[in-house]
Amino acid sequence: MNIWRFWLLAPIVTLAACTPSDEEVAPLQEGLVYCSEGNPESFNPQLGTSGTTIDATSAQIYDRLLDYDDEQQAFVPALAESWHALDGGKRYRFMLRPKVQFHDTSWFSPSRTLNADDVVFSFNRWLNKQHPYHEVNGGNYPFFTASGLNRLISKVEAVNGTTVDFYLRRSDSSFLANLATDFAVILSAEYGAELLAQGQPEQIDKRPIGTGPFIFKDFRKDLIIRYQRHADYWRTPARMKQLVYSITPNANKRMLKLLTGECDVIPYPLVDELAKLDTADNIKIASTVNPNIAFWAFNTEHPPFDNVLVRRALASAINRSAIIQTIYNDNAKLATGVLPETSWAYSPVDQTYGYDPERAKALLEQAGLGDGFEFDIWAMPVQRAYNPNAQKMAELIQADLAQIGVRANIVTYEWNAFRRRLVRNEHDSVLIGWIADNADPDNFFRPLLGCSALNVGTNRANWCEPEFDDLLMQAIAEADNDQRTKLYQEVESYVYREAPLVPIANSMRFQAYRSDIHGVEVPAYGGVSFRHAYRDAEPDTTEAKR
Amino acid sequence: MIRYTLRRLTLLIVTLWLLTVFLFSLNYFFPGDTLTNMTGIRASDSLSYQLAAEARGFDSSIFTQYLRFLGHFSSGDWGQSLTTQRDVFKQLLPLLGGTLELSVLAMLLAMVIGAPLGLYAARQQRGAMDRVVMGVSLSAYSVPVFWLAQLLILLFAVKLGWTPISGQLNPLFNIDVQTGSIILDILASDNPYKSAALADAINHLWLPVIVLAIMPGTMLMRITRNSMLEVLQQNYIRAARARGLSELRILFRHVLPNAMQPVVRQLGLMFSILMSNIIVTEVIFNWPGLGSWLVKSIYERDYPVLQGGLFAFATLILFVNVVVELFHAWRYPQVRKELYAEH
Repeated sequence: MNIWRFWLLAPIVTLAACTPSDEEVAPLQEGLVYCSEGNPESFNPQLGTSGTTIDATSAQIYDRLLDYDDEQQAFVPALAESWHALDGGKRYRFMLRPKVQFHDTSWFSPSRTLNADDVVFSFNRWLNKQHPYHEVNGGNYPFFTASGLNRLISKVEAVNGTTVDFYLRRSDSSFLANLATDFAVILSAEYGAELLAQGQPEQIDKRPIGTGPFIFKDFRKDLIIRYQRHADYWRTPARMKQLVYSITPNANKRMLKLLTGECDVIPYPLVDELAKLDTADNIKIASTVNPNIAFWAFNTEHPPFDNVLVRRALASAINRSAIIQTIYNDNAKLATGVLPETSWAYSPVDQTYGYDPERAKALLEQAGLGDGFEFDIWAMPVQRAYNPNAQKMAELIQADLAQIGVRANIVTYEWNAFRRRLVRNEHDSVLIGWIADNADPDNFFRPLLGCSALNVGTNRANWCEPEFDDLLMQAIAEADNDQRTKLYQEVESYVYREAPLVPIANSMRFQAYRSDIHGVEVPAYGGVSFRHAYRDAEPDTTEAKR
Repeated sequence: MIRYTLRRLTLLIVTLWLLTVFLFSLNYFFPGDTLTNMTGIRASDSLSYQLAAEARGFDSSIFTQYLRFLGHFSSGDWGQSLTTQRDVFKQLLPLLGGTLELSVLAMLLAMVIGAPLGLYAARQQRGAMDRVVMGVSLSAYSVPVFWLAQLLILLFAVKLGWTPISGQLNPLFNIDVQTGSIILDILASDNPYKSAALADAINHLWLPVIVLAIMPGTMLMRITRNSMLEVLQQNYIRAARARGLSELRILFRHVLPNAMQPVVRQLGLMFSILMSNIIVTEVIFNWPGLGSWLVKSIYERDYPVLQGGLFAFATLILFVNVVVELFHAWRYPQVRKELYAEH
């Protein structure tokens, strides 16, 4: 009965026909797939602080006036060719680079190159409440509010086509550092005007136009973001013709996709699996020092966390060294305060609570909560550079707290929903962290604990202490770094006394990539950049010799 | 037949109507603002919110609200997503294409493998191969899809490196999404690397299709075998043998058509099982379909999307079941007679 044999064979034949062919196809050679960990909130970094949004936008679509070079520890020209301070540091003049092309896309064709109007437009959008774009897409500019830039700059003025003046209310040592962050991007004023005329201004953050090395093409939520090389880029154009972000929130799957070659680069590989990955010949791991801090913030408006004794009790109740062992596999340092070791204002004096359950119990007794209480720990659903596994960390903390009779429930939501709810201060406490946007130590304090950061979604402790804010202002006004270092020590001990948050760890940021990929840059301050990325012509051969 | 068709169609319409009532009431049970749950427009966008409140009759009785809801719903205005602010109905269509592509291929594969193997087992009744086929089918049937999928991924993708594990296509192939079915989209595109893209798409496709086909395929195998055995014992088969007809002729002219009757009846049920498995499969393989979209909307508490996804799934299952029942009744008149005799 031949017919039976045929039926049995059919699926096997089909299978055999489907095995992949080895020949290289041009789009696969000339493109790069980055498996990002989540959806960007929008395509304009001005509107957010999430690392995912920054990674997907800043270094790819946009440019800034100046960049910070980590190696030289200096500011380098970008869209501004040069700049200087005037009026005793209260006015900065920027000279713009000529012949900088904006992206030419199917929805916008620029008629001119970059000029001073674009700079004024980009800054006035968040600076000036009357600006037609200020309220578009939410009207929240968390970075600029939290860093105080919106109160520092009094106005931005075009002197002529290529010169822009920034007027400051007072001299500020962190001003240039803030302009060099990934948030201070330059948008196209012409595109803005065109969208306004069409009556759909909200498109400016959904179909972005910038001057960056890649042109935004397409975004399908939960699936992909597609970029194409910007051939007229003012620096050397990118080497990859196409850049695709394949959105893969699950860390295990991200790693499997790297192994199968579906991803060329992945962020935040699982720390436990790192060793296993390192042995594979065709996969490399890169780590960069990342100025970050993982912390556990108490919502100081929610009782019983309005009581400093309770906050201190919980801070003493958790065994942070055990957490670092388990979660980071020793790829992180126990935090000694809010500032990480990479900051110039860091001091090795330990400003944190040691593990002491007895003391924690005594403190709770003192606060009248000797019988314990119940509350929620919110744990992030995603991996961040500062915390590869918040859920597991929450479980460890839960176990530690059970020892002193406190019951913790672990709560989590999808990442964007999680952040939205945090902004509404629905949490009791949250395990989250912060990655510095610039080299200034102020970036760790005002955004995290300053009064101006309330309600913009970075002050997770929901904590505002005017006295503390004064101290911070004093530290910014000071120009001498030694004096500032001293002031930041005072700031640290203030945080220690009040314990609005418990610093946990400072960790490295990891990336894993296929070994035929080179030139992916992860600057210490800011998002990943693919400008210099390229692929070996013949995969997996040259790198092995190095 | 007409009476039967009308009865089925009425039942379909009544069920769909009940479904809309259910969806409508969900908007009140979900936490948060009812109008926001329904349309995806937040109260902070006050102008659109007022317009929507007016259009949805939120100042009048609940019956008016329901009627307006029904009007909007049937005209394809399913609100906008709470997370992306995009139109739910427009988002849904390409995803439906992706889901249909997977389910149709899986169903075909299940039939191509399941029915012949069932036949084969029946022919070899109580022989070694019968036991092997039935044993394998029983164990495959009892393996949950989420586990099977992971296992096959580990084997074929990670260990052997034969296939990618997620999505429809290597994203570097720039294929525009039109129908959502990747094969149709590639065929319709004018990409210079069409054949390479097609090979890549098939390479992405076969593993999820196999995972999905296993459950209905093994069901089909068992049903086909049992119904074959039943038919083989009938007197008319013995009579055919006595008349000296060849085995093949008996099989294809007399056994198979009759044996297929209970098989066809089960197709609707199989499709329902396939649909619940497809949700899991789509999530595991990152397949851009209705299932992964629905699951994501649950995580994100995106109520307009949740409703749209639920409705699309329920409608699809109901529709396929009614079509199968109609086909069954049309193809096998004796079924119709049984049905009428009851009344």
